[in-house]
Amino acid sequence: MSRILIVEDEQHIADGLCFNLEAEGHHASVAADGETALQWILEERRVFDGVILDVMLPGKDGFAVASELRRRGQYVPILILTARGRAEDVLRGFESGADDYLPKPFELAILIARLNGLLRRRRWNEQETPVAEISAIRPADTFAFAGRTLDFAAMEVHAAGKSYQLTLMECELLRYLVKNAGQPVSRRAILEDVWGLDESTDTRAIDNFIVRLRRYIEDRPASPRFLQTIRGVGYKFVAEP
Amino acid sequence: MTRRQKAIAFFVALCVLLVAAAVTLNITWIVINARRVTPLILGIILFAVIIAGLIIYTVFLVLEIKRNEEHESFINSITHELKTPIASIRLYLETLQSRHMSDDQRREFYGVMLADAERLHRTVDQVLKAGMAAQKPRILARASVDMAMLARECVDLALLRHHLQAGAIDLETHDDGPLVVRGDAEELRTVVTNLLDNAVKYSPDTVRVSVSVAAPAPHTVWLRVQDRGVGIPRKQLKRIFNRFYRVQARGPKSVKGTGLGLYIVRSIARAHGGRVFAHSEGEGRGSTFTLELPRLAS
Repeated sequence: MSRILIVEDEQHIADGLCFNLEAEGHHASVAADGETALQWILEERRVFDGVILDVMLPGKDGFAVASELRRRGQYVPILILTARGRAEDVLRGFESGADDYLPKPFELAILIARLNGLLRRRRWNEQETPVAEISAIRPADTFAFAGRTLDFAAMEVHAAGKSYQLTLMECELLRYLVKNAGQPVSRRAILEDVWGLDESTDTRAIDNFIVRLRRYIEDRPASPRFLQTIRGVGYKFVAEP
Repeated sequence: MTRRQKAIAFFVALCVLLVAAAVTLNITWIVINARRVTPLILGIILFAVIIAGLIIYTVFLVLEIKRNEEHESFINSITHELKTPIASIRLYLETLQSRHMSDDQRREFYGVMLADAERLHRTVDQVLKAGMAAQKPRILARASVDMAMLARECVDLALLRHHLQAGAIDLETHDDGPLVVRGDAEELRTVVTNLLDNAVKYSPDTVRVSVSVAAPAPHTVWLRVQDRGVGIPRKQLKRIFNRFYRVQARGPKSVKGTGLGLYIVRSIARAHGGRVFAHSEGEGRGSTFTLELPRLAS
């Protein structure tokens, strides 16, 4: 059972989501606006395993809520569910720190599958896996290169005396790139392997994540050395350029 | 500061600088040509034209930026207003299709879906009516319409539609004679319904709306809708009738709409040779909308 927070001011949609999440065996709470959601998570320290976030809310909008949570060090998986489906809205959603974005109207089964994907990812992140197994399937939970340390378990990057907290999907993307160090990976492969999407999702959403990762690990994010763009293909992580 | 506000600030600043430059040049010109009358006068006129042109150009640009902004916010709200009920209906249909539930639950879901279908219908209706309102000339089916009776019908319908107690909207008629106007009953019903919907929408949880029909002058009929809701800032009392214009959301209550309702109201009022105006004591102190129509001599 997971605790899901639904931030939605449309009563009908909130009730419908609630009914379905409960039927899936989750525990759902509904906040009718962004302020309430922030109050519950940041002030009252209520714990949720996932957040379904609407954008057009009274008062603070969903983008502002997501950024505020990330700024205050809350890395609960966020799925933005909104009527605004234009490319710039999707990009803005990811920029504000969301982990997934689904436009309304949506297919119930897809929403549940994506939400379960985020919850599963969170559980995997929390799980302690034997070292041998980790190295077999993915890099160890810390990875050091050129004076930087990536701590995948704590979802942190330590570079040049500073520490950065990663969001769930930033961490997973970085882990994936490190796992494939030295070889280029396409945006499509990243979408499929990291996000578990295989539809015609806008692959540019990844670019925003890369921009953020570069800010953490590059000396000069504008001319990256470790996280290289491979024109026409995607990206390549190089530990010793 | 949003990107648009920055753009406006930039263009206004640019205009001020250019005007200052033109004024400086103008003064220099006057000083240099102090003794030669023809170039002096010609120069002053030309500089005046340049300065006026700059100001007109900037005002036009700023207005366009604002219009563009209103248009964009319209696209956002119409997207929301159309997609939300569709998303809801679809969600409930899929739920009904894929899950086991009691008959009561099922009936409740049908009710929710009907309400969403109605909401969708109202939005589509508004968009179509706004489209018609923009067309000129308007063809109206003219007949004698008793405004007191029409108001009664609309109030009853609004009470039903918004699930309100009988006393939530009261109706008074202030004249002994019949308050009859000449017009299209269907269109006038749209006007009154839109005004009532707004009054309910912008009211606090306990709705108290007063509607009055009266004849303030022998040849005029007034229909007034007064609420005790969020009110309207003085500066925006006129702009609210513009197409796409919506007062920025304040307060905890979510109020959504297309920004077309009052535009439709105004264009129907005008097509009937009347007008509509708003009055408000300020934010949080309610607002009053008055529809003024020419009275039909009995």
